[in-house]
Amino acid sequence: MRTRTPPGLQVLRTVVIADDESSMRLLVHATIESDDYCVVEAADGAEAWALVQKHKPALVLLDVQMPGRSGLEVLRSIKADPSLAATKVILLTAKAQESDIESGLIAGADFYLTKPFSPLDLLTRVEEALQL
Amino acid sequence: MVVQQRERELRRGPPRRPGWSLRNYMALFMGVLLAVAATAGFAVRTMAEMDARQSASADTSYAAQRAANQLKSGFDAISALSLPVVANPGVAQLFTDPSKCGIGYAPIAPFGTGHIDIVRLDGSVVCSSRKGVSSDTFPMYEGQSWLQAPQPVVVAPVFDRATGSEVVVISYPISGQGAFVWFLDLAALGPKLAADLGSGVHQLEFLVTSSDGKTVILRSIDPARWIGRSISGTSLGTGEAGRPDLNGTQRIYGRSTIDPAGWRVYVGANEAAALSAADQLSNRGLAIILAGVAIMLLVTSVVYRRIAEPVRRLSLVIRGTTAGDAVNAVGLKGAAEVTNLAWDFDRLMATVKNELADRLNKEQKAIVSERNYRLLFESHPQPMWLYDVGTLAFLKVNDAAIERYGYSRDEFMAMTIKDIRPPQDVPKFLELMATPQPHFDRTGPWRLLLKDGSTNQVLITSHTTTFDDHEARFVLAEDLTENQQLELELHQSQARAEANAELSKAKDEMVSMVSHEMRTPLASIVGFTELLVTRKVTPEQRHDYLGIMLQEGRRLTALINDFLDLRRIEGGHLTMRYAPADIKALIKRSVALIADPTGTPIQIRVPEDMPLVRIDGDSIFRVVANLLSNARKYSPNGGAIIVGAGVVADMVEVYVEDEGLGIPADALQHVFRRFFRVDNPDRNGIKGTGLGLAICKNIVEAHGGTIRVRSEGLGKGSLFSFTVPLARDSSQMGDVLVVEDDSGFAHLLQAELTGLGVSSIWAADAETAERLMIKKKARAIVLDLLLPGLQGEAFLARLRVKHGSGIPVVVVTLKDLDPAESLVLHRAGVTAILRKGPGMAETAANLIAKSLATELVAG
Repeated sequence: MRTRTPPGLQVLRTVVIADDESSMRLLVHATIESDDYCVVEAADGAEAWALVQKHKPALVLLDVQMPGRSGLEVLRSIKADPSLAATKVILLTAKAQESDIESGLIAGADFYLTKPFSPLDLLTRVEEALQL
Repeated sequence: MVVQQRERELRRGPPRRPGWSLRNYMALFMGVLLAVAATAGFAVRTMAEMDARQSASADTSYAAQRAANQLKSGFDAISALSLPVVANPGVAQLFTDPSKCGIGYAPIAPFGTGHIDIVRLDGSVVCSSRKGVSSDTFPMYEGQSWLQAPQPVVVAPVFDRATGSEVVVISYPISGQGAFVWFLDLAALGPKLAADLGSGVHQLEFLVTSSDGKTVILRSIDPARWIGRSISGTSLGTGEAGRPDLNGTQRIYGRSTIDPAGWRVYVGANEAAALSAADQLSNRGLAIILAGVAIMLLVTSVVYRRIAEPVRRLSLVIRGTTAGDAVNAVGLKGAAEVTNLAWDFDRLMATVKNELADRLNKEQKAIVSERNYRLLFESHPQPMWLYDVGTLAFLKVNDAAIERYGYSRDEFMAMTIKDIRPPQDVPKFLELMATPQPHFDRTGPWRLLLKDGSTNQVLITSHTTTFDDHEARFVLAEDLTENQQLELELHQSQARAEANAELSKAKDEMVSMVSHEMRTPLASIVGFTELLVTRKVTPEQRHDYLGIMLQEGRRLTALINDFLDLRRIEGGHLTMRYAPADIKALIKRSVALIADPTGTPIQIRVPEDMPLVRIDGDSIFRVVANLLSNARKYSPNGGAIIVGAGVVADMVEVYVEDEGLGIPADALQHVFRRFFRVDNPDRNGIKGTGLGLAICKNIVEAHGGTIRVRSEGLGKGSLFSFTVPLARDSSQMGDVLVVEDDSGFAHLLQAELTGLGVSSIWAADAETAERLMIKKKARAIVLDLLLPGLQGEAFLARLRVKHGSGIPVVVVTLKDLDPAESLVLHRAGVTAILRKGPGMAETAANLIAKSLATELVAG
């Protein structure tokens, strides 16, 4: 977990990145790195859910396939928790099939990206979600 | 054998058993019966005699008593008559005046005739009952002492001269003057007594003797002869038992005495007469007994003839075991039970005979049909064989099989059904064998291995049978013609359509999995590339990003390689080149590859005397390396890793054991599946393609072996083991030993050598080559210098030490040799040094062939 505290007095919003691949976490983190929010990383579903509960983040970037709790399970938990009503979710999936996309959306994700994705595209989606 | 022995026993007759035959019992019974009858007869007779004697004895005693009483009463009557006469004074006057005499004699019982005299003491007769009697006519009185006796006297017997007969004299004295004398005739007295008392059945004899028993006074038998006779010296009076009478007749006597004379009265019964009555009685008893015995004998005889004899005959017939004779033998004489038994036996015999005939007939037919079937099998144009379901060994093969597959009959018999399958088909075959086989089955196409190494496609028709006590499978292997193949395909199209659906689903899943596995590294590569292209990055970041891109690119390459390998192996497209190999050297090399100088050293446990295995060295090396790599990867906290090998049954088992993360029980059965990863956070960040174990499984199974995994659970470590076949015996070794780690080049070289008529054997490393040389010395060696373990130069040096310089060695290598190195090789007796390249296999083969020929000429 890496947290960077930007200067100023504003309480920064948090973005959680959950992916079991460290290279992917690094890529996502490098892509969305910003002074406007604080980024935390989780290496599996359970850790991701713990961080979400702790930080009540504005946005969660969820890898679908993770050991332990999968991204979809974490997504369902977020949607079922009223205190997380403001939390937005972007799914990152290696699965590219229609059925997978549907199940991801039905679960309530705000957006999804299929690996490999364009980092600029990802950044756009993140900024959209955070309404920056 | 057993049957013949039994037959002999039957002919000999029944074995001697304890116990008697019915005949013996009957003889005994008859003997006892006769003995009892004889004893009874004898007893009856004895008792009858005793009775007769007792009765005779009683009879005589009684008769004697009665005779004595009669005589006594006679005497008493005489006394009663006489005493008043004597006392009469008138009688005394007679002596003086005899004229007054007048007396008469009247018979007094029992006495008959007789007379009375009155006599003076001088013997002159005064008065007599007889007329005309004077004293001088009675000379008998002269000298008779009793005349003077003062008391009455009885004297007998006295011969009466006057009458000429024997008499008894009874004299009563008359007052000193004379006597009153009775003369009583004795001759008639005996018969009279006999007549009065009756002689009866006993024919009684009445005999009276003087008191001393010496003189006969009277006798009922022949009295005239016996009266007055002295009988002193006879046995009369000596006892009561039977004894001879005076005439010599045997008699039983009773006796009595009479007063006053003290006479003895004897009454004798005729013993013979008495006994004859007893005889009659006893004879009657005997007759009854004999009648009884006769009846019993008759009954016995009937029983014997009706039961014992028929049973004996039946037994003889049964011993002869001829149907129909039993009833004849027993005939109508037997008792109903015996006859029924005979009937039953005849029926039984008839049944047995029919059954026997039936069975013989069937056996005959079976023999004929078996011969026909054998002929059908032997000369059937299609290859056929029988194999044992348990051992899979061939039990029988036909001529067509020998001709088609090229193995001799003996070679077939030394093999199992597995040996004629390509090794990669064996697991599938064994799996099929492990499931229950239908009684009849037609499957295919299968590939069968010919002796020349080629394979052919066959359709197998098989059924279960029993052959020489083996549970066997009968197999007809038809070569598939194009038509048949089409037909088969048509036949299987339904199943294939279903299988296709499944396959297509599996392919979809596969594509999905592969795409997923590829997308992650691709996402990194593409993503970081885009960042590098679109953003300004620090040199530090650039370095980081490029490092990740390289790592993920390599990962993608490995994934693609593994995936393609797996596809090749699964599809049977990967060529396995099997050769003898030293598994220990292979394991050591794998350990050297995986070993991490900073971690715990990997322990190797392989016995020194491990036999060679028959493997594709590169593939098995990959399996061992993969298992070791996994053991290292999944032991993030260290822990011992052990790799070992041992002979198990007819295979060599290699195992890799670690003390790492372990595998949960529910995941054990899935670990060899493609892309399967144990889903547990403890192994987050441990990377892999997910294909390693699937590849291992395929390689091991292509060798005809099996791969297994054991783990006690999470955190308990894992043990992976697999088996590979032992190398076949070294007699198959060739003349030339090819020591070459490049299987492609080795194969090419061997083909060239075969083309020149030279046999060869390939060792993929120097260690294996050394082991092979120990087993059988090669006549020439083709040697690569760059080898996986022990290097070519070292091998050469050790070869020269062990086997001398006689073996020609051709070096073929990629290595650039400087002159010094070449010199060393030449000094070590290398025939030629060739650099690997196109056409070099042919050159090397020719060189070797030439050196072998030279060696032949020289040797």
